[in-house]
Amino acid sequence: MMNNIKGQYIGWIVFFIVFMSLAFLNPTEHTINIASKILVMGLFATAFNLLFGTTGLLSFGHALFFGLGAYITGMVVKSYGAEVFIPMVFLGGIISAIVSILLGFLCLRLTGVYFTMLTLAFAQLVWGITIKWYNFTGGDDGIQGIERPPLFDTFSSYYILILIVVFISMLLIYIVRSSPFGMVLRGIGQNPKRITFLGMNVYRHCLFAYVISAFFSAIAGGLFAGIDGSIHPNLFFWTQSGGVILMTILGGLNSFFGPLIGATIFIILEDVVIRQTEYWSFVIGVIMLSAVIFLPKGVISLLDFIQRLRKT
Amino acid sequence: MFKKHFLVLGLVAVIVLLSFSVSMAAEVIKIGALYPMTGRAGLYGKDSEAAIKIALDEVNAKGLVKGKYKLDVIITDDQSKPDYAVSVAKRYITSDKVKFLFGVISSAVGLAVTEVSKDYKVIFIGTDHAATDLTAHKFQRYYFRVSNNTYQSMFAGAMYLKDMPGWKKIAYIGPDYAYGRDQWLELRYGLDKLGVKYEIVGEFWPKLYEPDYTSYITAIIRAKPDILVAGFWGGDTVAFIKQAKAYGLFEKMKYFHPDAGGNYELFAAMGDELPDGLILSARHHNNWPPTKENKAFVDKFYKATGRYPSYAAQGAYAGILFIAQAIEKVGNPNDTEALVKALEGMKLKLPEDPEGFTSYIDPKTHQIVQMQAIGVTEKNDKFPPAKKMLGNFKVYPADKLMPTDEYVELLKKTKK
Repeated sequence: MMNNIKGQYIGWIVFFIVFMSLAFLNPTEHTINIASKILVMGLFATAFNLLFGTTGLLSFGHALFFGLGAYITGMVVKSYGAEVFIPMVFLGGIISAIVSILLGFLCLRLTGVYFTMLTLAFAQLVWGITIKWYNFTGGDDGIQGIERPPLFDTFSSYYILILIVVFISMLLIYIVRSSPFGMVLRGIGQNPKRITFLGMNVYRHCLFAYVISAFFSAIAGGLFAGIDGSIHPNLFFWTQSGGVILMTILGGLNSFFGPLIGATIFIILEDVVIRQTEYWSFVIGVIMLSAVIFLPKGVISLLDFIQRLRKT
Repeated sequence: MFKKHFLVLGLVAVIVLLSFSVSMAAEVIKIGALYPMTGRAGLYGKDSEAAIKIALDEVNAKGLVKGKYKLDVIITDDQSKPDYAVSVAKRYITSDKVKFLFGVISSAVGLAVTEVSKDYKVIFIGTDHAATDLTAHKFQRYYFRVSNNTYQSMFAGAMYLKDMPGWKKIAYIGPDYAYGRDQWLELRYGLDKLGVKYEIVGEFWPKLYEPDYTSYITAIIRAKPDILVAGFWGGDTVAFIKQAKAYGLFEKMKYFHPDAGGNYELFAAMGDELPDGLILSARHHNNWPPTKENKAFVDKFYKATGRYPSYAAQGAYAGILFIAQAIEKVGNPNDTEALVKALEGMKLKLPEDPEGFTSYIDPKTHQIVQMQAIGVTEKNDKFPPAKKMLGNFKVYPADKLMPTDEYVELLKKTKK
């Protein structure tokens, strides 16, 4: 346990130093663009994993919250100007949290594949509405030219904003995860009946985790709207939900930093491989497949492996 | 001793020659292209890639500005995803230092990339995407389009319908997204402008990539239109025509598909099965105009790839030629503002220009102005595997097809 805590400590330091130093190493705009996406998707995956990695409830509709965050920020900034950007990111989180309470009432009564399918259905529903409601959402053309907030309007200063928000958000998620509440969640994942016998309400705990997860997913979505200033209905699409599941499993769902590592690998791979070959989807597929087969506990399990090697 | 001198002299000569050839080597101007290479639109990306290569070979053979410059194109699969395309476009500009953005099939991707072009002041040559918006209310001065937009083809369509006798009732079927919706809006606008009286008996909106059109087909037959207007593209056209044929739809009404109906891949996919008498058009036809330029282009493409091009190839080919001509005229690929000025109003003889007409770029909207030809399917096996092609073409003059200011205002009001 002690060792584990120390490990997490190092994780935070490495995380902060790596992403902070990027800002000072005179990076190219492309590097910052990729790093921004890694941070945002990393937060999204970490938020998603608050539910999946502890209780084992697999939501296949988390794109709904990510998309909501992006669209609330994007649409309001487009109408009222960049001054409202940062408040809108948080408003997006709050609206998503409210939506997730409503959805949680319906979905969390179910478990297993039924929960997964129902979350997928709701996300697809919102995707359908977004893509068709031209006058309101811009339809499948999406929204372009979303301005970044004042003070953070260059790509590098916006990166700093992302880094700060993501760092604080992840810290909060970490606190939730390691609190007694988080322990109960993990207990639910292992044996929900026993938690009930201990006199705790499984449903209410899951709902609370779902709401927190939705809140931070939307924060990630809101930040995403400012990276390229361009958002589209495919942020709500099931492939977006699928992507975040893949990142989480690739990185390692049992570890806190696993999803962030998964997001990092995923985004860098996509950037590098597509540049090289037309058959990128095949190459990425093979890499993902081998990662899942040979590292079933995620890429992060490599670290444990190295640690064990050093001990022996 | 003498031998040694000879050696040194030889060495010096080699060095001098080498440095001479280095200084003579042309500077490479990079163009960053985005095309879908996978999925349903992948064929258009592949055909564009092949056409780009043909154009580059032609341009680089003699070099630009007396051999000072050469063009090179980097192509990335945009996956038809706007957000992904934006990040590639930014990478092109900031890391790869491209001087031009290029290509794009999907209009949603085009709308996203034009914002990047505007922000970074890098010229974006659109070769295929058809949304009128880009050269209307979403216009920005670094954007140029070298293929026609849906307004141009639908207005030509409206002119065709005006001259067609004996119809009154009309129905529309098209994919339920911006492209499908725009075509119907533009056709009706055109018919109204031309004072054509018509009655709409049905509008049908299947989703894009719909596999089964049965319910739509029976509903269309029940609605009894004289003309069915269609706004599909690619595999959807093939699927719809195959299924509608089984229900005898084409004996009951005229099928009219003026934007992308006449794409070559339809003829290649359906062969003999394709009904006669369908009224179709496309952005480029392999057998029209019957000029030597068009024949040369189609033959070159066939020689390079072993297949005939879909319409997308000609747009990509035209795009490279426009860039080359602009650099030639300005003499400096780094002077973006001068290049924009040069491209405005630029004339260029393209494969799809009939005798006596030269395509040009409208200086006000940066939209290429071209003739539109609408034809009817008939037997023609000169472009295998197609067994039928378009014939009996009617041609519509380019200057009549440009969106009016009034229409641009309408777009501004109805679309954000």
